Amino acid sequence: MSALTTTAVGSYPKPDYLARARSQFSQGKLDRGELEKLERQATQYWIRSQERLGLDVLVHGEMERGDMVAYFAGEPGGQTIEGMKLGGLVRSYGNRYYHKPVISGKLRWPGPMTVGMWRYAQGLTDRPVKGMLTGPYTMVEWSFDDHYPSRRDAVLDMAQVIRREVEALVKAGARYVQIDEPAIHTRPRQDFDLAVEAMARVVEGIDCEFHTHICYGEVELIYPDMLRLPVKQIHLAFKNTNFEYLKLLEEHPFDSDKNLGVGVVDVHTHVLELVAEVKDGIRKTLELVPPERVWILPDCGLKTRTVEEAEGKLRVMMEATREVKRELELD
Amino acid sequence: MKATAVGSYPKIPNRPRPARLRQAIARLDRGEISREELAHVQDEVTIEAINEQAEAGLDLVTDGQVRWDDDQTYIAQRLDGFEIGGLVRYFDTNTYYRQPIVKRPVRWTSPILLRDYEFAAAHSPKPVKALLTGPYTLAALSTDNHYGDRRRLVLDLAEALRQEALALAAAGAPFIQLNEPAIVHTKEDAPLLQEALAKMLDGVKSETALYTWFGDAAGILPALADTPVGLIGLDFVWGPANWDELRHASFSKGLGFGIVDARNTRMETADEIAEQVRRVCEVVPAERLHVNPSCGLEYLPRETAFEKLKTLAEGVRRAGAVAV
Repeated sequence: MSALTTTAVGSYPKPDYLARARSQFSQGKLDRGELEKLERQATQYWIRSQERLGLDVLVHGEMERGDMVAYFAGEPGGQTIEGMKLGGLVRSYGNRYYHKPVISGKLRWPGPMTVGMWRYAQGLTDRPVKGMLTGPYTMVEWSFDDHYPSRRDAVLDMAQVIRREVEALVKAGARYVQIDEPAIHTRPRQDFDLAVEAMARVVEGIDCEFHTHICYGEVELIYPDMLRLPVKQIHLAFKNTNFEYLKLLEEHPFDSDKNLGVGVVDVHTHVLELVAEVKDGIRKTLELVPPERVWILPDCGLKTRTVEEAEGKLRVMMEATREVKRELELD
Repeated sequence: MKATAVGSYPKIPNRPRPARLRQAIARLDRGEISREELAHVQDEVTIEAINEQAEAGLDLVTDGQVRWDDDQTYIAQRLDGFEIGGLVRYFDTNTYYRQPIVKRPVRWTSPILLRDYEFAAAHSPKPVKALLTGPYTLAALSTDNHYGDRRRLVLDLAEALRQEALALAAAGAPFIQLNEPAIVHTKEDAPLLQEALAKMLDGVKSETALYTWFGDAAGILPALADTPVGLIGLDFVWGPANWDELRHASFSKGLGFGIVDARNTRMETADEIAEQVRRVCEVVPAERLHVNPSCGLEYLPRETAFEKLKTLAEGVRRAGAVAV
């Protein structure tokens, strides 16, 4: 890959027809085949959209997933890891509730969970599509555990499950697999070594380029420790804190063997960034990390935006990247 | 020995029972019902929460904090000087609260919890303890854009919350619990907490407790015990080092023994609880013991919370039967 490679983090907004279909499916009013047809239709939309916008490495958009953990734990229409199920409703804030997954037995890989959709999405385009998984630490941290004697036991068994899925994706032809760990800084002092060990068990010896996404939270608590994660790329939500993470990189240089994924648009606001401010963020980053090691992406999955907002943000990201490349005469 | 809760009770049950409060708030947001209609639903759900705690066998209940979004904003919004900001994570949970922002000097203007307490007490078959977020934790979990000095903010909050504690005591609240979970995460501030609580509880006649959770009080239990409260609540699930701390401190207060995991669905057995209670009775006499979950129950589905309280109450009964 060349300088300032562009990609996205994972999820895109679901079109209205799919949101309706998912709700009908969970009420038993639509069969699985019909739902899958609409998921694929929406996936095709996002593949074409990313091609039009000019992204280099694509994501399939997660049209088939509701929540990144619950999808693997009994969510309607999801793919369930053996030993997981959906639990009762728990409040996350305000009037928002979710069905928190439960680890209720020994965790086992149930066979390919994400390969079918990956293969479909990759079949639509010549550009590489990333395999998308949730990391073992986050899977366990965001679930109840009725089974394992310790978090460590649960996380390491979960790592074996995720590893099997990675192997299946790689066998199907995936060149990039992204393993998201947004919960990795929940208990950095007690648990960071465990998260690193678990990631190693997922990826070790597998010939594939691994990325991980770590968003929000107290990134300063796990930098530079996070450089021990055995992945090729780490992406962080830079825009959300107006590039304050760059101070961390000034104090301790970013690992010279790794690529840095730089989130340049905030996914939690309706406000569309200006091309100039995105360019400014990219140029500041380039003072610390060379362009061939910088990837450009949104801060996080865009699923909470409308379709128009999501595409608007990607368009600004692409335009800013192109202008910086032109101005700096990169590739 | 009393079986009690620490604070919140899950606001909505699971299917097939209706999620009335969730629906009512959604309808209020859509402009379909009035604030008064929502308040009516909140009252009814409060009665449900109280009755479930009593039915589970608790001796001392809370109002379930049904009207509270979280421990911070319910108080901060009703004091003068705060505005409410963006979502932030509550300690190491996957639960979020809107962060209070201190914009001006903080002041108490009128009672915040009085009506809630009186309503709960009037509808409860068991004594109700009033819950109040402590001045240290309220300051620690807020953003300060005014004082620029943690101590001054904490002490002003202590004065503001003192008015609230006095109002609750005057209304006959027999037991007021101050929630100070932040202190076990920033132990070096224990002297500030002591100063604040001395100020806050001056002249408050009710029985009082100081509760912590999500960590241990190793190294600061003597400091916590050197405050004018009658009972210290510690989390022995997420802070197992509390065992050693308790054994080594000379501890003469009441203990809130947080022994049922309120953050995981795995069920304890009544015998396990009874065993732990007997163990802690070697250090703290049974008559000074409140046995409770490790923290508020809102991290659990409603049905699991209820089952855990039942098990807890049964464990306390079994331990008591042996002790006698």
